[in-house]
Amino acid sequence: MEVKLTEDRGRLAERLQGITGENVMLCYQCKKCTLGCPSAYAMKMKPHELMRALQLGLEDPVLWSGTMWICLSCETCNTRCPQDINILKLIDGLRTYYLNRDYYNPVRELPMMHRLFLKLVRRFGRIYELGLVFILNLKMVDPLKDTDMAMPMFLRGKLKFFPHRSEGAKELRKVMSRLEAMEEER
Amino acid sequence: MRYAYFPGCSLSSSASDYDLSLKAVCRALDIELVEVRDWVCCGASSAHATSHLLSVAMPVLSLSHAEEDGFDRLIAPCLACQLRLKAANKEMQEDPEVRERIHRAFDYQYRATVRVYHPLEVMMEEGMMEVIRSRVRKKLSGLKVACYYGCVLTRPPKIAQFDICEDPQSMDSIIRALGGEPLDWSYKTECCGVSMTLTRSDIVLKLSNDILREAKEVGAHAIAVCCPLCQANLDARQIQIEDRYRVQYGIPIIYFTQLMGLAFGAFSKELGLEKLITSPRGALEICGLM
Repeated sequence: MEVKLTEDRGRLAERLQGITGENVMLCYQCKKCTLGCPSAYAMKMKPHELMRALQLGLEDPVLWSGTMWICLSCETCNTRCPQDINILKLIDGLRTYYLNRDYYNPVRELPMMHRLFLKLVRRFGRIYELGLVFILNLKMVDPLKDTDMAMPMFLRGKLKFFPHRSEGAKELRKVMSRLEAMEEER
Repeated sequence: MRYAYFPGCSLSSSASDYDLSLKAVCRALDIELVEVRDWVCCGASSAHATSHLLSVAMPVLSLSHAEEDGFDRLIAPCLACQLRLKAANKEMQEDPEVRERIHRAFDYQYRATVRVYHPLEVMMEEGMMEVIRSRVRKKLSGLKVACYYGCVLTRPPKIAQFDICEDPQSMDSIIRALGGEPLDWSYKTECCGVSMTLTRSDIVLKLSNDILREAKEVGAHAIAVCCPLCQANLDARQIQIEDRYRVQYGIPIIYFTQLMGLAFGAFSKELGLEKLITSPRGALEICGLM
């Protein structure tokens, strides 16, 4: 792939450094991140390729690869990076930045899951497992997904039918709204 | 010793067996657990993928309740929770900008004085190993255990500051103290993929299959775990994995607290053993515990 280096190519890296404090330019492509990554096999753009793409400011290929969503947040790459780059922090920066953007995303169910997860937590203060699974499966048009896994759990009392409510939910909602107001201010 | 207890969402439903057995073990070891008042979800992987501030705020809410109530030590048995709580503490201690903004969002000003422990860390405190040894009534003789630590107990080392990062030994030493035989294997800290368990199950099945296969190859009778999420993946998905990869494992995935409880002489009901999906009967018969 041929990339013309222009001045605004560096903007993506700068913006990310602004959000996360991490400098992608430190990466020298040793590939340790990719070699240790448990989900690299499922990524079109491997972690070290993501780092190079960020250095070159290739925004669209980064988004279209879906790599930021396929990452499992297992912290292996951070731990092993010889340049001490917090790759997961960079990926989280990408995720927060692009969470609600209508770019093409090959794994749309991931940001959808995160939004739903937080919606339920906002309501109950804790996660309502059965509700999360049920709504998510409906949204993914696969309503019977994992019923073979859920049934034995249900029979052993490991899945509760009704949500747990926390008395802390009210405080959480207040804090969440204050944070949102602060983020809008910025 | 008295600890604030942050069970986390899993231990109040899908991992009630971990909750039961942890409480039983703590009773036996004279550790008092007091549930954090009105705790809320730690946010796990969804909060840090959504907003950095939110990923700090959610743990801080529960931590501040513990601090207000006079605790300086807190136990969080889920790996995801303990990492989020520890990370939030670190941010609050080291990043003045984050601290300022979090303080603006809360009525109570959290000072980050509550130290977060995973149960394994508590077991590794000075003198604890002797106490554990002294409580053993039935040895796990002949039981070969693959200790699986999961992804974020020792990673990232800057936050975890516990055990050997790539080859942890804490659970192995507990199993040894119980009279069992911990196995040397290379998948101790490989990720089971749980953050995608609801969305991309194909990835989860592959990663969990790798872990089960490796454990089988080294001759494990059981896999000991210390996280409710790993347990759910390896245990409840084991049938799906066997089906997809056309293999037969039948390896029970047992919480290390359940093994401790058994060795301390607790009844299987007190430890929630009947809640395990892959039956532990065969494995426990080997050491005469069932």
